[in-house]
Amino acid sequence: MLYFFVVWAYGKAFFADTIWAKRYKTPLLVVTLFFHALYLVWRTIQFDHPPITTVFEILTLLAFSIAFVYLFIELRSKAKGTGYFILNIAFFFQLGSSLFIQDLLEVPEVLRSNLLGLHVSTALFGYSAITISAAYGFLYLMLYHQIKANQFGVIYKKLPNLETLERMSFSAFKLAFLFLGLAILVGFVWLPKANVEFSYTDPKLVGTLAIWALYGMGILAKRSGGWKGRRVMILSICGFVVSLFSMTVVNVFFSEFHKF
Amino acid sequence: MNLLCVGISHHTAPIEVREKLWFSDDEALSSLLVLKEHGFGEAVLFSTCNRTELYTVGKESQIGFLKEFLIERKTSQQNVPPSSLFSLGGQSSTRHLFEVAAGIDSMILGDVQILSQIKDGYHRSQNQGTLGFLLNKIFQSAFHTGKRVRTETNISEGAISVSYGAVELAGKIFDRLDKKTALVIGAGETAELTAKHLRGKEIGSLLITNRTTEKAEALAKKVGGSVIPFDSFQRRLNEVDIIISSVDSKEYILTADDIVRMNKARDSTTLFIIDIGVPRNIDPRAKDLNNVFLYDIDTLQMMVNENIQKRSGTVPEAKRIIDQELREFTQWYSSLEAHPTIGDLRDLVEQIRKDEVEKNANRFQPSDRELLDIVTKRIVNKILHTPLVNLKNGHEESVSDRVQKIAVVRKLFGLDEISTGSVGSHKDRVNGS
Repeated sequence: MLYFFVVWAYGKAFFADTIWAKRYKTPLLVVTLFFHALYLVWRTIQFDHPPITTVFEILTLLAFSIAFVYLFIELRSKAKGTGYFILNIAFFFQLGSSLFIQDLLEVPEVLRSNLLGLHVSTALFGYSAITISAAYGFLYLMLYHQIKANQFGVIYKKLPNLETLERMSFSAFKLAFLFLGLAILVGFVWLPKANVEFSYTDPKLVGTLAIWALYGMGILAKRSGGWKGRRVMILSICGFVVSLFSMTVVNVFFSEFHKF
Repeated sequence: MNLLCVGISHHTAPIEVREKLWFSDDEALSSLLVLKEHGFGEAVLFSTCNRTELYTVGKESQIGFLKEFLIERKTSQQNVPPSSLFSLGGQSSTRHLFEVAAGIDSMILGDVQILSQIKDGYHRSQNQGTLGFLLNKIFQSAFHTGKRVRTETNISEGAISVSYGAVELAGKIFDRLDKKTALVIGAGETAELTAKHLRGKEIGSLLITNRTTEKAEALAKKVGGSVIPFDSFQRRLNEVDIIISSVDSKEYILTADDIVRMNKARDSTTLFIIDIGVPRNIDPRAKDLNNVFLYDIDTLQMMVNENIQKRSGTVPEAKRIIDQELREFTQWYSSLEAHPTIGDLRDLVEQIRKDEVEKNANRFQPSDRELLDIVTKRIVNKILHTPLVNLKNGHEESVSDRVQKIAVVRKLFGLDEISTGSVGSHKDRVNGS
């Protein structure tokens, strides 16, 4: 419900320029995140395991991390015109979770580990950052084509300028690299101990490492000055597609011990 | 209401006449002093490129004098016929001021500068001691109206000149212009205006080139740029982020291949090109290049036309806000008439008297209660007599003094709170004290 109001406020601010929405949308997001964090802590204490045991628990964590990463970028860049697009993703994830989440009291011992909680949380934050970076990349390309095609509509008027969108996408890009790096690190420490079937050649693990390396190379390419503008945005969207592939197809069909 | 407005604007006179009645800061200051000597204790005078307006408090019969005063102050009797000036009195003048502050009376609909220009006039009067109680309130309301119209409607959104449109587009591509370099090719009027707008947006550096070096130098001086030779400007292209081109040339001065080469040298950093030249100066195929944004005069004009149309669409909403603010102002002003204030004050004191009599009636014998009523009424009437007579007999005072006196009384006794229905709270306050 709170996410619905947040998205509504961001939508009102973007499309209708409503003054109250412009003023209160960010505080409303902060309040929502606060209650969401409380909810996640409450679930962890109540059911004695981190909220990572079912798809719907993962969805709520994903909604939280997307909204959190977005807030971080909004506060850093001071550009508030993109929240409607990003927070819609968080809203639908939370909606799916709220509708179908179940209270699981009996879960395998391996899922009660706090290290696993940290591993999954950082990975989810990483994937959220990847999603946000791609969403900004998409908005960049949308605005890029509108400017090129002389279409001066709402998107042109309300979205931040291309350089800001590029900066926002790149901020998320760097966060994705950081969180995925942490997830990989924690995974390497914890997974061999927790899983007898652990293998360094597991497709999901290799896939995640490849994505991490791809983002690392993207950062290097951008920092060295070679890659700019549209090209970096396309890379960000490609990174998202590869991640989606890793999270879905590889996870379901190829991964052995690493399916959660 | 005794607000008078006399002035000249783009509605009443052409530029050749308007410029003769343009008042500099010093001229406005000295004129305010002279007006004061003529008995106009309250006056605000401001001049912009499209208007000169004088607001004062007086009688409508003084309008002729005020028109002549403005003309005489500029010694323009020969050139400015009084018929070029307009005059308004009463509520029409307040509405006019609100409309001017809102930008709907401007030549450029939604003009953003006008509000600060009126504020300059307001501060000038404040410093000169000609901003009385009434004008202060009217101008404060006008500023509030202007601000509301700009925040609640899109009247000032979107560029409505080709030169500003170009700069606005640049702002949609680049985050900060202070680290960017712009190259102006040519020294025509639109190029100059665009360069000025870029300077206004704090462009990092401005390079100027033209076939006639003297013209380039003159423009560089005006806009604070540096000149580069026309025959070798291509060598500096790898430094620039923005190009504004407006030269007469039968051939493209930059081909798509030139720009491809240039892009390679500058790591494909975004390049924004405005081609105002007719025939076009830049190869239009450059538009299809990656990270290159090329606009010609037609595209910019199309954008400007769309924005003008959008701004016009907001006028009804702006007028609705003006009507609302005008109603509030009129309500406030009406409350400052002597009669309603006298009535409100009587009602207040009578209410207090009644409450106290009712509260304490039991302490008196039933036979004394009628006497108590009569005695308290007499006391109240005697206390109120002098203040009410003074309020009634204010005709010999200036409008401003009278209005201020009434406002003070209303504030002291909290009459506005009472007339808006919070009598209970007043009673509580009285009882509590």
